[in-house]
Amino acid sequence: MLKQFCFYFFSFFYLHSFGQETFPTNGVATEFEPIYAFINAHIIDAENEIPNGTLLIQGNKILQADTGVQIPKNAIIKDLKGDYIYPSFIDLNTQYGLPKTVSRDHSFRPQYNSNKKGAFHWNQAIHPEVIAINNFQNDNKKAISFRSIGFGAVLTHQQDGIARGTGGLVLLSNKKEHQNILIKNASAHYSFNKGNSSQKYPTSLMGSIALLRQTYLDAEWYNQDVSDFNYSFEAFNSEQDLPQIFEAKDVFDISRIYKIADEFEVDYIIIGNGDEYKELDIIKQTDFSFILPLNFPESYEVSNPEEAENISLEQLKHWETAPFNPLILANNNITFSFTSSGQKNPKDFLKILRKAIQKGLSKQDALAALTTIPAKQINAEQLLGTIKKDKYANFIICSKDIFEDGIIYENWVSGKKYVVSKKQEIDVRGYYTLNSQEIKDELVAIKGSKAKPKTTIFFLDSLALKTSLSDKEISINTKDGAFRAVGTFSDGKINGRFQDENGTFYHFSMVRDSLFKEKKKEFSAEIDSIIPEIWLPNKAYGFTKKPTAEIILFKNATLWTNEVEGVLENAEIIIKDGAIIAVGKELDLSEILEKDEIVKTIDASGKHISCGIIDEHSHIAITRGVNEGSQAVTAEVRIGDVINANDINIYRQLSGGVTASQLLHGSANPIGGQSALIKLRWGSSAEELKIEGADGFIKFALGENVKQSNWGDFNKVRFPQSRMGVEQVFYDAFYRARKYQLEWDLYNAMPSNMKRKSESPREDLELNALVEILKGERFVTCHSYVQSEINMLMHVADSMRFRINTFTHILEGYKIADKLAKHGAGGSTFSDWWAYKFEVNDAIPYNATLLNNAGVVTAINSDDAEMGRRLNQEAAKAVKYGGTTEEDAWKMVTLNPAKLLHLDEKMGSLKVGKDADIVIWSENPLSVYAKVEQTYVDGICLFDKDRDLQLREQNLQERMRIIQKMMNEKNEKKQNPKKEKEKLYHCDTLEP
Amino acid sequence: MIKKLIIFIFCITFVQTIFAQSHVLYLGAIAHLGNGLKIENAAIGVEDGKFSLVADASIIRINPTAYDTIIKLGGKHIYPAFIVPNTTLGITEIGQVRATHDYREVGALNPNVRSLIAYNTDSKIITTVRSNGVLLAQVTPRGGTVSGQSSVMYLDGNNWEDAVLRADDGLHLNWPNSYYYTGWWAEPGENKKNDKYNKRTDEIKTFFTKAESYAKSSNIMDLRMESMKGLFDGSKTLYIHADYGKDMRKAIEMTNELGIKKVVIVGAEEALKIVDLLKEKNISLILNRVHRLPDSQDSPIDDPFTQSRKLKEAGILFCFDYAGDMEAMGARNLPFSAGTAVAYGLDYEDAISAITLNTAKILGIDAEVGSIEHGKDATFFISTADALDMRTNNVEQAYIKGNPIDLNNHQKELFQKYKGR
Repeated sequence: MLKQFCFYFFSFFYLHSFGQETFPTNGVATEFEPIYAFINAHIIDAENEIPNGTLLIQGNKILQADTGVQIPKNAIIKDLKGDYIYPSFIDLNTQYGLPKTVSRDHSFRPQYNSNKKGAFHWNQAIHPEVIAINNFQNDNKKAISFRSIGFGAVLTHQQDGIARGTGGLVLLSNKKEHQNILIKNASAHYSFNKGNSSQKYPTSLMGSIALLRQTYLDAEWYNQDVSDFNYSFEAFNSEQDLPQIFEAKDVFDISRIYKIADEFEVDYIIIGNGDEYKELDIIKQTDFSFILPLNFPESYEVSNPEEAENISLEQLKHWETAPFNPLILANNNITFSFTSSGQKNPKDFLKILRKAIQKGLSKQDALAALTTIPAKQINAEQLLGTIKKDKYANFIICSKDIFEDGIIYENWVSGKKYVVSKKQEIDVRGYYTLNSQEIKDELVAIKGSKAKPKTTIFFLDSLALKTSLSDKEISINTKDGAFRAVGTFSDGKINGRFQDENGTFYHFSMVRDSLFKEKKKEFSAEIDSIIPEIWLPNKAYGFTKKPTAEIILFKNATLWTNEVEGVLENAEIIIKDGAIIAVGKELDLSEILEKDEIVKTIDASGKHISCGIIDEHSHIAITRGVNEGSQAVTAEVRIGDVINANDINIYRQLSGGVTASQLLHGSANPIGGQSALIKLRWGSSAEELKIEGADGFIKFALGENVKQSNWGDFNKVRFPQSRMGVEQVFYDAFYRARKYQLEWDLYNAMPSNMKRKSESPREDLELNALVEILKGERFVTCHSYVQSEINMLMHVADSMRFRINTFTHILEGYKIADKLAKHGAGGSTFSDWWAYKFEVNDAIPYNATLLNNAGVVTAINSDDAEMGRRLNQEAAKAVKYGGTTEEDAWKMVTLNPAKLLHLDEKMGSLKVGKDADIVIWSENPLSVYAKVEQTYVDGICLFDKDRDLQLREQNLQERMRIIQKMMNEKNEKKQNPKKEKEKLYHCDTLEP
Repeated sequence: MIKKLIIFIFCITFVQTIFAQSHVLYLGAIAHLGNGLKIENAAIGVEDGKFSLVADASIIRINPTAYDTIIKLGGKHIYPAFIVPNTTLGITEIGQVRATHDYREVGALNPNVRSLIAYNTDSKIITTVRSNGVLLAQVTPRGGTVSGQSSVMYLDGNNWEDAVLRADDGLHLNWPNSYYYTGWWAEPGENKKNDKYNKRTDEIKTFFTKAESYAKSSNIMDLRMESMKGLFDGSKTLYIHADYGKDMRKAIEMTNELGIKKVVIVGAEEALKIVDLLKEKNISLILNRVHRLPDSQDSPIDDPFTQSRKLKEAGILFCFDYAGDMEAMGARNLPFSAGTAVAYGLDYEDAISAITLNTAKILGIDAEVGSIEHGKDATFFISTADALDMRTNNVEQAYIKGNPIDLNNHQKELFQKYKGR
């Protein structure tokens, strides 16, 4: 008895209750717990294999598992006759036994403050205080479903919110909850999804990231005994020593999570998405371990070739590669466990698991991913995961190898048996002679499988009759019901009764003359382990191999230098190692190049060469929200956190000669988020797109968008609702920032002993960004239309002693061009947009010319994925409207935006030493007839019109190859083609 | 400044009185006739608002005494008026101000509503559009299944009655998409198969079948049915807005069954997939704005730019529209979108046709406008250089039925006001 209480606990949250003792029993309370001995078992766990072993269990624990075990006298013996025993599986991503979280307080009216009463975090999506186990109840229906696919224990957590609280480890038995809960606080959970929070903030992924980062900072600050109590921070801090589990929405979230891990020194376990193979290099850097769903996509219905065109190559390639994901991760030594959570239908779990094996994943790795690894990930390896002494008696009994075609007979959880599919012990099959009153010596054959035999009574029907078998009782009937029989098998005989169509019963007896010899079907899983080629990015126009930089001499070209030389005809330019190393006429190669250097020469006769176009205002390549418009000031959010390097618009814009862009936050609020300056390095990762060493920028906005004029009648709540209020938002923000800066300056000036004794100011990501502006370390790009507000903001900036770097759109800039020039602000405008809202009624296409003439550094931008690939045409409109010279017009999309983005040291002209971001044009780039022939970024040719045609061919071949493969895929569920819509952002794009 | 303005106004009045009454010869321009032909050194005569002479000046002999005025245009370009079909120009003013929207009526089936009477001749946008050579518009209602009736309007006039060229030229049917977008405008989801597709198309068919029956005979007035009568006698065109191959096929099938005489497909993103059908049924197209993104991320990146060349090679009659975002104010960029098609292989004169004569043919106004041909209305303009290239487009003078129109606009005025500062 004592033994039973010698539980081994690992968790520092010592919890396990002696539940049964506290409950009064209605009836006889004493209960004998026998020892079970499973003999002739093939016992396999991830660490050990015992081919002909014995397993002893008592109560909820394993006593022993070995060969040659001394079986106690009183043990109940179960002869498994070679059946397989595995540890039951563990699923770490479930919401098992928890109430469904529902969205509360849905309203069209925006809710800016938390609805949760009490001393909690200000944001409803941050609730680390939620302890899942406090709400845990057994869910027998779900438990049956889990057990039927081999699971014996799960980690359950409230799958809602950004900081979600803790998860608990529970057993899937139907014992009392008290006995099922193994670890109360086994893990702490996070995501970027605000879930059911009805509060407005955050509306975007970048907002979620900022909120979580701020929470880490606040919790750290809270640790120093601050005066106000906060239950959420208490909980957050107390959970930091638990395994930290982060749910990623897709593979691109992983580098986002990694940045947080790095910043706050946390080690996360990632709940993945089955697409990890796409970012392998990044994942390898992180050292994260994973909880992987087996969510291999169903194949698509491709029989209708027209409809099949709606399936993107990206979807097709993912379909093909996803089943290899576990293998690819295993090959790269990335630790992972499996979760059943990715399944539409949980019953398919084993089938899909076997698919991963067919794709080359080893059985050992698969078993570990289901048992020992999940146990280790949540520090429960002393409790679960293997068939070892003192561990919980959680195991499954299978007919054969579970990773081949084994059937689960029983799943034992915590020492309790649950039958999954009953094992048919008796084999009734064979060839019989049937006799009854009426029938003499008729031949009957019972064939089929042992558990599901099929009977043929030849004088009735040459086809097999419907047969059902339950242990020893067999019933047989014809389809029309004219013959229905039931009998019992015993010692090679079946005796019973049948009824004819008139209702008369007859006795019959069948004697087995010979046994049925089953053709042994050897399990042969075809192993298809040729991992498909993964493109960069893994979609149409992806590279199979990344192009590299070469040394190239372009001859006989017309060069738009943007330097004092102006436009040079019949000139030469040489690029090397990603930089321009020579520009001019009749260059002496021996002076420029090293000896023996091989230079590729391109004859550019008739062609024009310019530096790459720089789009000062772009919203391409951004994922899950361009606006964090939920508050008037959101300086804390960063577009740099949410770059989508796979956006096809990157490639499209390369084909329009664009090589760099400022990815801006939208214009939904007066102080928006921080920009990302990128180069259009197609085929690289999000972090690699960012321009090294670029200055920080931030988006401001004025006018109708920030006062929510066009947001409908429900949005009349947020301050500001007028231009008057907008001014005050800025003053308020900057006075707050000044105060904050002062607090930190004072604190930082303290000697260290004093510092230790005093409370540090709270670090605030929003104010950090504003202080950077005040210090001249971060630069403002301000969305603006009418002159009054532009004038206003310059006054705000002047009084705060900083400068507005760029007014973007600035459609009425021409009215105050002199003031802009005096303030030193640049203008980045549309060529000719107007009349789309009231505040752009006085927008004129002459704006760029007038600004330029007034000495304002003037750029023309796109703010639009479509226009972004024709910015050369937009620049040409400055020639048409107002008569800007061609060279000046060209600078409006190249050198001037480079200046506005402080990139002109490296970009914006053809000058020795600058980056080799160059474009080869078929003719004068300002002409509507000009086409891009090649675009180089860092000296690497990322767009080439001829290669583009090859890529199209490659896309088509790849598509057809995979569709062929899909057609040959048998017995697969099919899904209908879905056409993917790209997400295009403008300034005004709001997320709900 | 004021002095200049007075002179300017005086000039205009002067020019108008003279030109309207007299016989004028425009000599020496590069004339793009709109019908695919070009005359490098043209002699173009205008009398009583009509072209009286279209000839090659280097071939024919000109009798100077036959003309009251001879305007020498050495090296300048003459084009027939550009026409923007399928636009809300004139029935919308400011995108985000609902009070200015007169292009959409409540309900799904509104064949009887007419854009004509909502047309605002003094729209500030119109003056900026005609400054670039676009002098005619097919003003088109939007929304619902049958949006209503369009009319072809001159971009000049004092009221809709004198601005109209062709009233109620056709009805606009928005064919259901076999795929539909999920999500909302800022959060577009994936496109799903439209499960109600067959139901929706059946509803349309039922409606049009009823109209066919009404057209044969009816003694009760039904406004909607009455407005559709013209479809069955060929006096009105049915403009079917559809993009996917399957949708266009289905729509054409229906119009054939019902005996609708004149059918034009608007949008036609996937027109190249049904070229044979289009040829067989002799269906012409109003193509989506050339300046658009490819249909999907897998599409060839220049699909929108090369589509017209391929359709031309296939022998399909098409013209360009500028429908979509900011279509009214953007209509002034119609010439440049045609320019982009030239960059991608469409012959220059064919590109001109796609915004002039082809459009006129498709809208059924080619007897009056669309090309510079003897006997047609002298509705044309002069640009100092190539009008399809934004770098050189510079409309010096434009004429509607021989009368010069005012090319000043709100934006030019602001430019004048602020340029001296």
